[in-house]
Amino acid sequence: MTGQEPPNNPRGDDGPNPPDTGMGMTAIAYLVSGMLVWGGIGWLVDHWVGTKGIFAGIGAVIGIGGGVYLIVRRIGA
Amino acid sequence: MTGQTIVLAADVPFPPSVEDFYLPAIVGGHDSYWFTKITALLWISVAAIIIFFLVSYRKPKLVPTKKQWIAESIYGFVRNNIAVDMLGKRGINFAPYLTTLFVFILLMNFWAIVPVAQISPNSHIAFPAILAVISYVMFIYIGMRHHGGLKYFKHALIPPAPWFILPLLIPIEFFSTFLVRPFSLAVRLFANMFAGHMLLLVFTLGGFAMLNSNLWFAPFSLVSWAMTIALTFLEFLVVCLQAYVFTVLTASYLQGALADEH
Repeated sequence: MTGQEPPNNPRGDDGPNPPDTGMGMTAIAYLVSGMLVWGGIGWLVDHWVGTKGIFAGIGAVIGIGGGVYLIVRRIGA
Repeated sequence: MTGQTIVLAADVPFPPSVEDFYLPAIVGGHDSYWFTKITALLWISVAAIIIFFLVSYRKPKLVPTKKQWIAESIYGFVRNNIAVDMLGKRGINFAPYLTTLFVFILLMNFWAIVPVAQISPNSHIAFPAILAVISYVMFIYIGMRHHGGLKYFKHALIPPAPWFILPLLIPIEFFSTFLVRPFSLAVRLFANMFAGHMLLLVFTLGGFAMLNSNLWFAPFSLVSWAMTIALTFLEFLVVCLQAYVFTVLTASYLQGALADEH
């Protein structure tokens, strides 16, 4: 590897991302944070309204939907 | 007889606890924590890295010596396989920092399986936390410099999407980019090193605990110690993998900060 040049064809800035470089982590982060953020907001609404978890459930479902959408927009396509 | 076995078993504290990570001070009183094995290992790591790279590159030769070859291989690996692979040509600018980060974490983790040392400073959350803070501040700073001040936050927080789902998506983006990233970076490294040390402790001390409680358990103690050796090899894998993962994720965050609109 001594004095090895950087790869001949370093990827251009608009090329596709190389496989498996933090993409999986990003995807998981989106899914989990989607669920946590909107689930958490729903949980707060629950406390405020006085219901027993219906809004937390709805929030988690909406949040995970948003997370999937973000994964498709940011990583896919 | 029972009294004797209890005394013997009490010699080896089992199960191990978090207290086992707080080693006694080398210098100073019993409750002084300014200089412990952790700090000693930290300074040894820093000194070793500085000295190794200075010495091996003091008189660079066209046909490298063995030391120079090792140093260049490490740097070449991080530069070509992490920095340039993920950041393109700009990656070369970040290669020195990424190499330093990689070598530092690798060596700090490696103390976990060095006989006599047997604990990694990274099993205390302070070290991974500081490293994660550096990566966090760096990718935000790089992003702000690249996109121009607050425009970076616009770029990072507003995904390409129709306006009516933006209120749904922006909190998720904020949470995952600016809150989860530093936290997961620090906790991933810390938890791996903590759990590794804990596993080795459980199997080593467990062997003694079984031996002390009943002599008939001696064969199981041997199994337990054999497991310790096997787990040490597993630890070696974890040590290298976590150093690599931390570096790759830092590079990946930089890439995200440098990415242009598409």
